[in-house]
Amino acid sequence: MRLRRHFNYEERTALLFIAPVMTVLGVVAVFPIAYSFYLSFFRIKLTRPNRTPFVWFDNYLHLFKDEMFWTAVLRTTTFTVISVAAITLLALFVALLLNQDFRGRRLVSTVLLIPWAIPYVADALMWKWIYDSGYGALNGLLYQLDFIDKYMIWLGDQDKTLALIANAFVWKEVPLATILLLVSLKSIPSDLYQAARVDGAPLLQRFFHVTLPSMRTGFMLVIIYETMIAIRHFDLFFILTEGGPGTASHVLSWEIYVETFRNLSFGSGAAMSYLLALITFALAYFIIRTLGRSV
Amino acid sequence: MKNRFEGVIGRRDFLKTTAMAGAAALTMPGMKAFAAGNAINFQTWSAAVDLVKSHVAAFEKTSGLSVEYANSPWAQYRDAMVTKFVGTAPMDVMWVSDAWLPEWAEAGWISPVDEFDSLMAYNADAETFCTDSMTYKGRQYGLTYYTDFMGFIYDADKVAAAGFSAPPKSWDEVVEQSLVMKEKGISDFPMMLAMAKESWLIEFMSAMVFSHGGRFTNDEGGSIMQDEKNGALSALQWVVDAVNKHKVVSPGCVETGELSGLKAFASGNHAFALLPKYRLAMLNDPAQSQIAGRAKQALMPMGANGSHATVGWMRFHGMATQAAADKARADNAAKLIEWFGGKSDGAYTFQKLLFLDIGAGFGVKPLFEDADIRAKYNTYADVAIIQEQQALARKKDVVTPWFGDWNEVNGASWQSAILGNVSPADALKKSGEEWDDLKSQA
Repeated sequence: MRLRRHFNYEERTALLFIAPVMTVLGVVAVFPIAYSFYLSFFRIKLTRPNRTPFVWFDNYLHLFKDEMFWTAVLRTTTFTVISVAAITLLALFVALLLNQDFRGRRLVSTVLLIPWAIPYVADALMWKWIYDSGYGALNGLLYQLDFIDKYMIWLGDQDKTLALIANAFVWKEVPLATILLLVSLKSIPSDLYQAARVDGAPLLQRFFHVTLPSMRTGFMLVIIYETMIAIRHFDLFFILTEGGPGTASHVLSWEIYVETFRNLSFGSGAAMSYLLALITFALAYFIIRTLGRSV
Repeated sequence: MKNRFEGVIGRRDFLKTTAMAGAAALTMPGMKAFAAGNAINFQTWSAAVDLVKSHVAAFEKTSGLSVEYANSPWAQYRDAMVTKFVGTAPMDVMWVSDAWLPEWAEAGWISPVDEFDSLMAYNADAETFCTDSMTYKGRQYGLTYYTDFMGFIYDADKVAAAGFSAPPKSWDEVVEQSLVMKEKGISDFPMMLAMAKESWLIEFMSAMVFSHGGRFTNDEGGSIMQDEKNGALSALQWVVDAVNKHKVVSPGCVETGELSGLKAFASGNHAFALLPKYRLAMLNDPAQSQIAGRAKQALMPMGANGSHATVGWMRFHGMATQAAADKARADNAAKLIEWFGGKSDGAYTFQKLLFLDIGAGFGVKPLFEDADIRAKYNTYADVAIIQEQQALARKKDVVTPWFGDWNEVNGASWQSAILGNVSPADALKKSGEEWDDLKSQA
């Protein structure tokens, strides 16, 4: 009766139809999210099934005091900034190229999609072979081109590790970002360029005053998406370095994996995950606020 | 209007088909046992699956008992098992790694088997480190699946080309011979150490530490790794010097895992390597190795105050607590454990077949005298050296319920020292503090 009072026939029918989906979503998405938040208030270690005390915010407070956690935050930030900047710039360059008419454009567009189509695990294994200091293709190529006189250490050199992982990440992510920016480019009305030409604006001015501002939505989309992917990225770290050498590639996602699935500490692992989620949301909000102001 | 399913399958047809499918399923061995509810649930990782299946079939035939056999990949095995234990999935017998024994025992998931005299009788034939590795807090938790140890492998041609008549006996001699090899252009980095952060790392570290006469922990389980005299310092210092001072080990060792190191050694890049002994078979196989016929094993080199000791490891058949709690189930589980880890038909059949099939090591001394085994070993290795080294193997002294947590920190500390970020003393101090901290929380 109450339902009938609040909703008309059409709304009740709609509710009936979406009820199964909402139930499934509730069970497989909402409940686990809520339950993992609940778990983050316990000290749960699966291998100590009989000792799971309720510790309020201890798991969170412990993280703030943990030096390794802040190192991981710093590494995650560095990785994200390097990756997103490189992806955006490279994707812009390729999108501008593909926006021109030239012979073989379709072929280039198709080839461009290959990295995107490769699963991350395969991508990581491929780069592991490329970077290997003993038999890697990178050393082989540089050696044959006389750029190096002896094989170099790549992933094992802590000063290069993060940049090399970022390189593998960028290689995989550029195609999607290119497509997003290309769509944005194609949607710029040609009148704007004609008007700029009539006003005597040279190529660079047209680029900075017409093209770039018109692509703001595309940039926002690329930056938000890639930032969220980069912050949470795990596969490459797992396969290429396992957080090493030393702690050179200890990023937040790796810390969460180790804490949750190696140490089987589900309470503190859940707390870390929630902090990561909060950071991701905050960043997305910041980017939307900054870039989206005049969209 | 005609139902669109009409003519395809009717209700009666559906019920009939379902009943027949059910009956057919029940005639399958596993399902039959499941329906009867008295099958021995046997869980392993995915190794030698065909051999295990045929040995299970022989057991079922001989004992009249049913076995529900399942396996999952090694990489996910521990996580899968923990989930099953927590979810109280049916379990009687399973393969256990020595590294998980304390945490599984403390959690109450597995139970000691030392009350079964039939199983304990096999200890008389077993290597000491094998029984030690299956023992926690004075109780024995199983019988062998397979065992092996970390071996010192060398390329005999390179040693000869450098002008040496014998492989190094000490770690100082490893440096000495390596420097000559570097000078003669035989190898840029003669010694191969795989120090990447992976599950093998603790075995590599333990072999270095034991052969230097050190230990990570004392008999009471307290940390002594940071101790200058009896700890791990001289071993880590040797590695750091080998990489940074003598440059006989590649700085890339921190990114080299066991498999990558094996491939590099098999390609002829190095003269010496620390590798699991069972890798000798692959190294001397011309189809897989460029140094086939030249890969030999020597006793583990000694440190200044050390010995030829090395580290050994165990994978064994354990019994689930849920099985141990029920007398009938426990008796059946013990029979299966004996069939695999002890003798079946009066001989160590499974361990022997496992060795002949995949080269996995065995932990019982009498098998060294078996003619088939000796013949097989002689195709790629020196049985006498293997036997001598195996007798000097010791169990890892860090296997505790907090081993996994500590291992992450310890691995990073060793790598940091190798990279020159911290001194070996500071790296081990950090490892020791982490150990004490975790121990106090346990």
